Amino acid sequence: MFIGTVLYAVVNSVILALLAIGFNLTFGISGVANFAYGALYIMSAYLSWMLLNLLELPFLLAAVISILITTLCGALMYRFVLLRVRGQALSEVIATFGIGLAILELFRYLGFVGFEYTLPVLIDHSFVIFGAYIDMQRILIVIVGAVLVIFLWLFTHHTSIGLAFRGIAQDERTALSLGINSDRIATLSVSFGAGLAAIAATIIIPLGSISPSEGYDVLIKALAVCIIGGLGSTGGVIVASFVIGFAERFTDSYISSHWTMIVSLAAILIVLTIKPSGLFGKQKELEERI
Amino acid sequence: MLEVQNLMVFFENALAINDLNIEVDEGEIVGVIGSNSAGKTTLMNALSGLIIDMRIKEKRRGGERITVYGNILFNGQDITETRPDDRVKMGIVLCRERHPIFPESSVLENLKIAGYLKKRPEVLDSIKYVFDLFPALPKLKTRKAGFLSGGEQQMLAIGMALIVRPKLLLLDEPLLGLSPMMQQVVVDAVAHLKKRTGITVVISEQFARPVLPMIDKGYIVENGMLTLSGTGQELMDNPEIKSAYFGI
Repeated sequence: MFIGTVLYAVVNSVILALLAIGFNLTFGISGVANFAYGALYIMSAYLSWMLLNLLELPFLLAAVISILITTLCGALMYRFVLLRVRGQALSEVIATFGIGLAILELFRYLGFVGFEYTLPVLIDHSFVIFGAYIDMQRILIVIVGAVLVIFLWLFTHHTSIGLAFRGIAQDERTALSLGINSDRIATLSVSFGAGLAAIAATIIIPLGSISPSEGYDVLIKALAVCIIGGLGSTGGVIVASFVIGFAERFTDSYISSHWTMIVSLAAILIVLTIKPSGLFGKQKELEERI
Repeated sequence: MLEVQNLMVFFENALAINDLNIEVDEGEIVGVIGSNSAGKTTLMNALSGLIIDMRIKEKRRGGERITVYGNILFNGQDITETRPDDRVKMGIVLCRERHPIFPESSVLENLKIAGYLKKRPEVLDSIKYVFDLFPALPKLKTRKAGFLSGGEQQMLAIGMALIVRPKLLLLDEPLLGLSPMMQQVVVDAVAHLKKRTGITVVISEQFARPVLPMIDKGYIVENGMLTLSGTGQELMDNPEIKSAYFGI
C-alpha cells in the first residue's frame, strides 16, 4: 500500500505541477495573474473533444490543433484586453476572471455537461510496479511533466526568446533599453502560459471528464501551488506541487478522503504562516523567477 | 549624427526639459553635465525613446501625462516618436543609471540577454570583445550579477550595451555610486572604446572632474535648461565650472 501511495502521490504531484506551470510562467514574466487560466484549460479540452467527435480528426491532430488555438487565444487576450490594463493588478484579475467566467459559462449554457465529454487515453495499458497497479496514462503524465520542465529550462536558458523572457521578468526597462520589446514578450508569455494549460488538459483530462466546474478547480489548484511555491518561481512550483500532492494522497490512503482537502488547506496555511511569500518567495529578488 | 532641436518634456505640468538644443557629431564623446534633478536622465530617456514607452504605459493606466515637444534627429531622420526597441535597432543604445543589469542571471547570461537582437555568432564575438575591454569580467562570468560589486556591475552594464554594437552609446550617470578608483576604470574604458572603435558616446554625469578631460564637447544643464556649452578644455577653464564642480 505504501509503494502504491507513493507512486500515486508522485503522479498527483506532477499533475499539480502541470496545472500550475503555465500560470506561473505568465506571472513570472509579465506579472499578469491570468485568472482565465482554468477556462483556457477547459476550452482546450472541449476543442479537442469537438475536433475528435464532430470532425472525427485523429486524437493527436485534434490535440495539436486545440493547443495551437488555445495558445493563439492567450495572445489575443493579451493584445486586446490585458494590454490596456497591464500594471493594474485588480483590473487584470477582474478582466481575466471575467473572460474565464464567460468561457466556462458559455460551455455550460451550450449544454457541454456530462460524462460523455472526455478525451481518450493515449495508450490503454497498465502495469504492476512493486505490487501497485498503475496505468500508462499516469506514467505518461509523469514523463510529459518531466519533459516539459526540462524543455522550459532549456528554452529559458538557451534561446534568445527564452533569455528575453528572463530579462523582462527581472527588469523590464533595462530589457527595453537593449531592444527587447516588452509588449511582444508579455504577449508571448501569456500565450505560452495558455499553451501549457492546453498541453496539461490534453494529458490530464483522459483521467476524468471535461466540465465547466473543473475550470474553477484548476484555477484554484494552480493558485494554491503558485502561492505556496512563491509566485513566479518554477522551482517553488515544483516543490509546492510535491508538498500538496503527497499531503493529499497520504491523507487519502491513511486517514480518509474526506480529510484530503482539509489537509491540503492546512499545508497551505502552515507554509504561508511560516513564510508568507511562499517557499521560494523571500529570495525572489536574488533567485531565479522563471 | 544626432541633433536635438528645441526639446521640451513635461511631466503633467512640470517642465523637466526646457528648450534644449544639442548636437553630437560622429565619433565624438559628448558630456551632459548637471547636478541632481537637472534633467539629465529625462534627456537620456528622450534620446533612447524610453520616454515614449513611459508615456504609453502611463497613458494606458491613466497615470502621469508625459508630453514631448521638439525634434530629435538621428542621421537626418526624425526619431522623436520612434519606440525604444526600434531605436536600438537603429543603433542607439542606452545604459541606464544605477547599474542596469539582470541581478538574478549570471554575468554571461546578462550578456546573452543583451544580444537578443543579434545573431548568435555576433553575440559570441561581442562577448569576447567585452571580456577583452573589461578583463575583470571573464573570471566572474558564472557569478550572479546581483552579487557583483557596484563597479563590476557598471562594467557589465556597459558591456551589455556594447553587445548590441551601438552606433550611438548613451551612458546615464555611469560613475554614480562608484569609488574614485572604479570611476577611473570606467572613464578609461570609455576612452579606450572611442579610440578602438570610433563609437559615438553621450555621457551624462554629475561628477564633472573625471568626465571633462575625456569629452570632445560638453553641455551644462541646470533645471532642464542648457546653461553653458563648449569643448571639454573650455569648460574646464571656465571659472563658473571651476567654482561649481571643482570647488576652486
